[in-house]
Amino acid sequence: MSDTLQTVGRMIQEVIGDDWDLDQPITLETSFGDDLELESIEFVSLAEALKVEYGDEVDFVGWLSTKELDEIIQLKVGDVVEFIDLCRSSN
Amino acid sequence: MAEVTVGGLRFHVQRLGPEVGVPVVFLHGLIMDNLSSWFFTAAPKVAAHQPVLLYDLRGHGKSERPTAGYSVEDMVGDLGGILDESLPPDQSVELVGNSFGGLLALAFALARPERVRGLCLVDGQVHDEAFGPEMVSSLGLEGRERDEMIARSFKAWLGRHSERKRNRLARNASELVHGTSLVQDLAHSAPPSTQELERLSCPVLALYGEHSDVRERGENLAARLPNAQLEIVEGCTHSLLWEQTAQLEQRVLSWVGRESGPGGKD
Repeated sequence: MSDTLQTVGRMIQEVIGDDWDLDQPITLETSFGDDLELESIEFVSLAEALKVEYGDEVDFVGWLSTKELDEIIQLKVGDVVEFIDLCRSSN
Repeated sequence: MAEVTVGGLRFHVQRLGPEVGVPVVFLHGLIMDNLSSWFFTAAPKVAAHQPVLLYDLRGHGKSERPTAGYSVEDMVGDLGGILDESLPPDQSVELVGNSFGGLLALAFALARPERVRGLCLVDGQVHDEAFGPEMVSSLGLEGRERDEMIARSFKAWLGRHSERKRNRLARNASELVHGTSLVQDLAHSAPPSTQELERLSCPVLALYGEHSDVRERGENLAARLPNAQLEIVEGCTHSLLWEQTAQLEQRVLSWVGRESGPGGKD
């Protein structure tokens, strides 16, 4: 498992907190909506956690600004991991 | 979590975008809503150009939930306090409000006109004489009727069919409606007078869905405001933020980024 996936997985668990009841491990294919059932306000907390972890290196909100709502709804953990790795490799 | 404390209450606040420019403050709707509905739609698009401030209304999202203090006046005070904590005292802002957020935006502009550069009402609720009784009849429901109302207003965008989430949101909504004085406080809030509305000088963009149940009252409101521009969005209901998201985002973006007219203050 890549470091980024591990980091994002940890953040997701922290965001969901006590409601965490997922039996399956988080993979690149795990979707935020259908699999994790993340509430939209929890997704805001994840965005905030990304900001704390990576600072200006990873402009998650800027990335969201390029996406349509339907794309955001369909996001998988792998999409976020790929974006983070892309930002970090170009810096 | 980013927080601002106003009047002893903790508010969940998100600030996006650049430091410089006219700040845009987004206001969400009642009960089932929170700042995420703007965070994942228009807010990041606007934040690519202007500073953005979002917050959860008291009792909503991740803001604190007191048992009392939910009048329009209380919530106007919250917004004023959050602006005072977050921005320079002479900085005016653009307010963008969806549904109840539109009602709140207008109430704030009437109370603190020096703080407001312009308003965008997205199918804004209208605070007229009918508003209070409607609140009581729609939110004072019990049992199955209440659950059906909650199901109808369920507009979450992630995992729309999730049982866990639906139950949590319904429970959360029920706690807000039944565990606080929100319904009574809003029902007893005095609507603005016609004279007050006629004095509002800032530009207002009033967007209403063609089939929205609030449309007619929204049209009446826009007709009373001296500097309002009414636009009807074809084929939409009250939920136009979700029905025409991309179109709405573009309209909000061009509105909040418009040039000031003669005498306009940035």
